[in-house]
Amino acid sequence: MKHGTLHPTSIFIREAVSVFEELGFDVFEGPEVETEWYNFDALNVPADHPSRDVQDTFWLKDGRALRPHTSNCQVRYGETHEPPFRVIVPGRCFRNESTDARHETTFYQLEGLYVDRDVKVGHLMWTLSTFLEKLYGKEIKYRFRPHHYPFVEPGFDVDIMFGGKWMEILGSGMVHPSVLENMNIDSEKFTGFAFGLGIDRLVMLKYGITDIRQLYSNDLRFIKQF
Amino acid sequence: MKISKNWLKDYIEINEDDDKLVDHLNATGTEVDEMISSVVFDDKVVVAEILKIDRHPNADRLQIATVTDGSDEFIVVCGAPNIAVGQKVPFAKIGAKLPDFEIKKAEIRGVESFGMLCAADELGLGTDHSGIIILEKECELGQPYSHYIKGDTVFDLEITTNRGDCLNHIGMAREIAVFEELPEIQLPTISLSETSEEAKDLITVTVEDSMACPQYTARVVKNIKIGPSPEWLRERLVACGVRSINNVVDITNYIMLDLGQPLHAFDLKKVAKGKIEVRFARTDETILTLDGALCKLTPEVLVIADIEKPIAIAGIMGGAESEIDEKTVDIVIEAAEFDRKVVRRGKKIINISSEASYRFERGIDSEKVEYALNKAAKMMSDLCSGEIAKGIVSAGNQITRSTIKIEYDKIATILGLDISAPEMDSILTRLGFSIDKGVATIPSWRHDILLWQDLIEEVGRIHGYDKIKPLPLVKIDKPEVTVFAAKEYLKDLLVECGFSEVKNYSFMSEKDTALSGLDCSELLEVANPLQPENKYMRPTLLPLMLKNVAQNSTFDPILIFEIGQVFTSDSEKTNLTIIASGKNAKSEIDTAVKTLTEKVPALRLDIESLETDRLNKYKIRKPAVYFIDLDLSAVCEKIKVPADISISSRTEKNITYRPVSKYPSVTRDLAFIVDKDLPSEDLVNEIYGISPEINRVELFDEFASDKFGENKKNVAYHIYLQYMDRTMSDADADAIVKSIIEMVEEKHHGQLRK
Repeated sequence: MKHGTLHPTSIFIREAVSVFEELGFDVFEGPEVETEWYNFDALNVPADHPSRDVQDTFWLKDGRALRPHTSNCQVRYGETHEPPFRVIVPGRCFRNESTDARHETTFYQLEGLYVDRDVKVGHLMWTLSTFLEKLYGKEIKYRFRPHHYPFVEPGFDVDIMFGGKWMEILGSGMVHPSVLENMNIDSEKFTGFAFGLGIDRLVMLKYGITDIRQLYSNDLRFIKQF
Repeated sequence: MKISKNWLKDYIEINEDDDKLVDHLNATGTEVDEMISSVVFDDKVVVAEILKIDRHPNADRLQIATVTDGSDEFIVVCGAPNIAVGQKVPFAKIGAKLPDFEIKKAEIRGVESFGMLCAADELGLGTDHSGIIILEKECELGQPYSHYIKGDTVFDLEITTNRGDCLNHIGMAREIAVFEELPEIQLPTISLSETSEEAKDLITVTVEDSMACPQYTARVVKNIKIGPSPEWLRERLVACGVRSINNVVDITNYIMLDLGQPLHAFDLKKVAKGKIEVRFARTDETILTLDGALCKLTPEVLVIADIEKPIAIAGIMGGAESEIDEKTVDIVIEAAEFDRKVVRRGKKIINISSEASYRFERGIDSEKVEYALNKAAKMMSDLCSGEIAKGIVSAGNQITRSTIKIEYDKIATILGLDISAPEMDSILTRLGFSIDKGVATIPSWRHDILLWQDLIEEVGRIHGYDKIKPLPLVKIDKPEVTVFAAKEYLKDLLVECGFSEVKNYSFMSEKDTALSGLDCSELLEVANPLQPENKYMRPTLLPLMLKNVAQNSTFDPILIFEIGQVFTSDSEKTNLTIIASGKNAKSEIDTAVKTLTEKVPALRLDIESLETDRLNKYKIRKPAVYFIDLDLSAVCEKIKVPADISISSRTEKNITYRPVSKYPSVTRDLAFIVDKDLPSEDLVNEIYGISPEINRVELFDEFASDKFGENKKNVAYHIYLQYMDRTMSDADADAIVKSIIEMVEEKHHGQLRK
């Protein structure tokens, strides 16, 4: 009769993971404390480039950092697996900023990576639209919009229509050749796509939660509703 | 980055309506954060002239202006410092509707006021509240002010770090011209009238390191008159969110927003001997910057110096001692190209960033430096009556453009588009590349194009990504069971035993570590926390979970668990911690252990209990707290997740979320005797329907027995009552509880158990 409850973020991640498992994606989880190499350099984000400023990073006293995205696992997974491979990485990430109802130091992402011969932009589009339609039904409206991320080329943002407005939910693109090289994969032979989905806002939308901090409040009045 | 549509029209003719233009910008990679269309004014805001200004008898900061609209005179109380007799100003008459309010007759500190003289922000023309808008002399008295305002639309754009060339109007006009298929932009030629005096006799320029400063150009403009900028210039700056300062400063800002070239103006008399030197700072040199701070320089910071000392930090900020002021007569205008990495390094060392450094870091148009200098000089002559000395004094050269071989086939293949080489050439040519036999020369303003792969995006976004057909992935099997699945399986088992999952922050504050008696020297420490809560990384899950127990004191029992990463200075592990506290805590945790070890024999679980003094420290008022603390790192791979357990199986529950108040709630327990076949869940929903203040109804007991009567059962609920905006009082809670009881009695003939 009495049941405990799963955290709403866990519920959402499980739904997302199970959709990608059906598509044959492996599930990998990497470290939250990460070296500068996997967080930035290996992803074609050099220290002398302004793209490094985009993330407000928590640096540790030992020179490592809390990962600002799950993309740290792209090269971690890629360098230990022979292509072709497809993998998703759900996990906790960190942003060094002041918190309010819309901003949190702690958030979850779901990273995706697919490397094979002849991977094309169309594969990326098919995979993400299949995911969105499984999650939200065929009637979901979405659009791909060009966007720049240093670790992909070309890059895209994906927006979904929610409450009459476009809402950005993920960044994606074709894996940059220098990122493939950092996985010791020949970028002349292989191509790939990658994406990073922001989880927390989608959890909030799903249940109508208006304050992001609730997700980490551990107020049982909140927790026991799920 | 704010871009004004009126400004763009200097370069292109825009026929699309604003919404379409926004769609096209988004579709080609320029994200539009916001579109601001200028407001339409009420015709009761008219042009008036100030006839007389008197001091307010009762307030030092207020003045009493007498104004005329050509036919009547009005008395207006005004607080702005910038009004003077003879000025024409926008005057809102009584009854005028402004964006935020309507003008009414008012008495201000004992003086009646019949209308208002308007500042820009009051009319919805931006945020400037520094003074009343002063109109051109030509404006006709009594005419609606709206006749003198050109309607404009401002687009607030998110320009990604790779597209520094879009941080200005010419760049955005070029971008729009490509996707709207407009004619190529031709920059108007600038004809200057120069005096016979040679600039090179007034200043000299030397560059120490041509890598750090590939080109430096300067002009001298003499006898300038510093004053306010004309209305059109101020309007454009305000539209882009830039404050108007004076004509010289405004012109340098204008050129930056127009052409993307940051400029700097020095007071010629403050440049010792007119000798300008671009060099790295010497050890222990300092400079007083424009914002008034004394800045310590290091030999990695590039500066502009005269023969005595640094007078500006190259590409970042000017120095206060060579600043233009109201006494300035002759100026030096600098237009230069500084190395992106040098500016970035300098910015980091001195910890100052500016609109100029933002653009230099992203790269400027190497071939438009001189053009920008000339345009600025022309404006200084037109708007500040300056006399332009003959010639440009310069050092260095434009950077030569690099080339890329276009991999036509590979680009078409990756895009999955049937697009021919001539079509690609045409797109790239429109974007400013020059193509010769399959080799593209990169435009001087594009610093983001380095590889043939970078051309995929250019071709794709202009050709249209919507033309790409989705391609299914080859079907392959689901992956083998993963560590992720093992952890989720453990969560399911715990949820079945009545435990709820919590997620705490990975951080601990100094206070948290003291409370739990941790040795901070063994913890992983954050170097740059913005908030004190984020100082250390948690070494175990227990301390923060004990805070959860304390915080949820109205619940009994409290059964929670967390799976998460924990850290020490040399390790990161995955832990599982389970806590049971309050009523039947021991038997609850025993059941959990039994279930877990039955299903997962690999687990070794030890129940520990918390001593009273630790409970007191955490202000936990429950008699007993039991916990299990487990390192999952080694165990997860040994866990056999049964094949028939799907990790999505428990997620289909239909949940209606009810917001949780930040104010304390009241808990009441109610038990009823009702018909045995009345589903207890239906009753839960009906109770929710009684009042929006009911946050949660939780069934905690249900059993049938003959002692309640034939076909009767007992149901018991915890009911949580809250207000979103204040603390719930007992009296209010009683009233809601009474309604619940009445509903159950009347609708279901239930009986409250006392």
